[in-house]
Amino acid sequence: MSNKDLQVGRVLRASTQGFAIGCMVMQPEIPSFGAFVRADAQTSDEAIYGLIYDVSMEDDPFVRQLIGADMPEEVVLDNREIRQIPIEVRVLAVGRGRNGRIRHCLPAQPPVTLDWLYQCSVEEVRAFTERLDYFRLVLEARDVPTDELLAASLRVAAAARPESEREAFLISAGRELVRLMAGDPTRLENLLHRLRV
Amino acid sequence: MDEVSPERELEAFFGPRPPDPQPPEPLGIVVGGGLSEGLLVKLDRRTVIEGLAVGRYVVVRGQTGRRFFSMVTDVQLEALNPLIQKSPPDTSDPFINRVYAGTAVFGQLEISPMLVLDQDASEPRPVKTVPAHFTSVYPASEEEVALIFGEEEREGFFHIGEPLEMEGTHVALNLERFVERSAGVFGKTGTGKTFLTRMLLAGLIKEDVAVNLVFDMHNEYGWKGQTEARQEVKGLRQLFPGGEISVFTLDAASSRRRGSKVDAVVRIGYDQIEPEDVDSLSSLMALSDVQVGALYFLQRLLGPSWVARLLDEDDPLAELDAALERGTIHGGTLGAIQRKLGMFRRFEFLRAQVSEDPVRQILDHLDRGRNVVLEFGRYGNSLEAYILVANYITRRIHEHYVQRTEAALGTREGEPRPLVITIEEAHKFLDPAIAQHTIFGTIARELRKYNVTLFVVDQRPSGIDPEVMSQIGTRVTCLLDDETDIRAVFSGISGGASLREVLARLDTRQQALIMGHAVPMPVVVKTRTYGTPEFYAALGVDEEATPKEVLERNRSLLRGSAEDAAGI
Repeated sequence: MSNKDLQVGRVLRASTQGFAIGCMVMQPEIPSFGAFVRADAQTSDEAIYGLIYDVSMEDDPFVRQLIGADMPEEVVLDNREIRQIPIEVRVLAVGRGRNGRIRHCLPAQPPVTLDWLYQCSVEEVRAFTERLDYFRLVLEARDVPTDELLAASLRVAAAARPESEREAFLISAGRELVRLMAGDPTRLENLLHRLRV
Repeated sequence: MDEVSPERELEAFFGPRPPDPQPPEPLGIVVGGGLSEGLLVKLDRRTVIEGLAVGRYVVVRGQTGRRFFSMVTDVQLEALNPLIQKSPPDTSDPFINRVYAGTAVFGQLEISPMLVLDQDASEPRPVKTVPAHFTSVYPASEEEVALIFGEEEREGFFHIGEPLEMEGTHVALNLERFVERSAGVFGKTGTGKTFLTRMLLAGLIKEDVAVNLVFDMHNEYGWKGQTEARQEVKGLRQLFPGGEISVFTLDAASSRRRGSKVDAVVRIGYDQIEPEDVDSLSSLMALSDVQVGALYFLQRLLGPSWVARLLDEDDPLAELDAALERGTIHGGTLGAIQRKLGMFRRFEFLRAQVSEDPVRQILDHLDRGRNVVLEFGRYGNSLEAYILVANYITRRIHEHYVQRTEAALGTREGEPRPLVITIEEAHKFLDPAIAQHTIFGTIARELRKYNVTLFVVDQRPSGIDPEVMSQIGTRVTCLLDDETDIRAVFSGISGGASLREVLARLDTRQQALIMGHAVPMPVVVKTRTYGTPEFYAALGVDEEATPKEVLERNRSLLRGSAEDAAGI
């Protein structure tokens, strides 16, 4: 199932609630906010699913010094592509799968350090979003831009479907959100508007 | 040789059988409520709320195969969060609309369960429990309506109209039960009470469940009536030309002008009037209690011709001298009574002497099974005349029925035919102040002990004595606005409160709420249109046939057609 083109990076640190991975290069679409990712657990045949909720790049002392210098283009490219400090990608764990059966709950064990993390294929995204129970895990997560993350993940999930099914999918997702967020109609409406962007 | 099954053979002849109809989509699911306050139904998002009206029938299909027949009593718009109602979302976005509809905002019905049908039972029973949470609710089907109200083809059943939003489905009224208790048609002016009454009377006559006596105040039942658009419709006599109807009149000239064929002209002799007859007019004539008491005294002293003598200004009334002297009767009282009785001079149907007894004549017709319509002609505008005559005749007919029923000693043989007496402006007869001692109050209270029941037509049911009202078994109610009237028609009906909304929302014409003894559960019907060729045809009247055509048809029946002749 692993596909080299969809590798995002390797696990830096992990907990059952989520993990951080490091990647060296920014590719088009990988890593991207709201994308579904999968890590294959080493100790069992379980797959752990997550949502990317943060992509950050930290500086290093050399880059700091370069800022002030008038540098040639190749030095800029060199610092972007062969980084001293990796791009850090944070992932929220939202599900686990075994033998093709996906459940929206926290994994029993996190992936281990330096495990590969893959971006989910279109088919995997569709399979994962057949049900929408992961909304609750996202809404309850702390220090996560929950509304933005839900909207982005739903846009990804909609894009993984044929054009004719997208509207119906978003409407059923919207109805699930209404059930969960009826207590705060303003926030709900903002979120629903963002599904369309 | 191939064996062809009978089914195949039929299919070959009639074409393939149409596929079984799709089961209907549920309207929604039960989410709460109770037996007394009614059930709450959350509407499915696909159900168009505008398509649901109060008064409509729905069926809750329970888990155990039971079906709960219920009526929609209220339609509401609900929101998951009240804040949504205060700050509604941006409805210009169709996506938001579709997401919200049925989830954040939804329609809700209040339904009142009334009857329950067990899985294998054929007779519905009154409801004693409720279906569980999340049970599906469906619109009632034609078969289910027929199951509740009975087939109109059955004897004693009469098609009265269609349930709301169920065109083509017939509600049949059980007329046998309708005449078992007193019945009433209520509704404010212009809601079609008269047309409804005439149709019900036509049903009673057609099904021959009782013999009718109609006090036709405005001459609308006998020969012909008029719609508000001044179109003429046939009266009962034209609908039943076979001699089922006899028309009596108080005003022969008026009947002649209207082309109404009458069987007899009613004349009442002064000597036939008794103090009780005048007593029923006491409020209209403003007779005080003392004056009413004096009437009986005067009759005793003056004899049977007491009214004629009191009206005769030349009569010295010598018998009264002693009483006046003793102070048994006051001169002022006597004078007031004489002045007030003077009103009788205006009524030409009152004569000093009459040869025939109008009550005897009417009873003869009733005993022969002929229904009697008494037209009031110009006296219809005089409430005094209407009440006097209706009381006069009814009191004597009731007396006769009581005697005959008692003579039959409860055996069916010898008992008189059940009689239904139709009165208009019923609140004038059944006013709380007089209902205790007028004949109509008595008839309403004693039910059908003596085979006489009332059919009251009224626009102010609140004016009817509550005790009498509670005895009115079947109530057919057109639109009523007045709060006290609405309260009055629901008095003594269990679950009436939930139906108030239904009644207040009836259309101004051709819609009625029927409840009580003759119907297993209340029903709102769009009443049948009276006066259409279809209606006449259903009652067996061929409107198009002129006498010439009838003659031609009968001749050809007698002689046989030309084709038959050729065949021979």
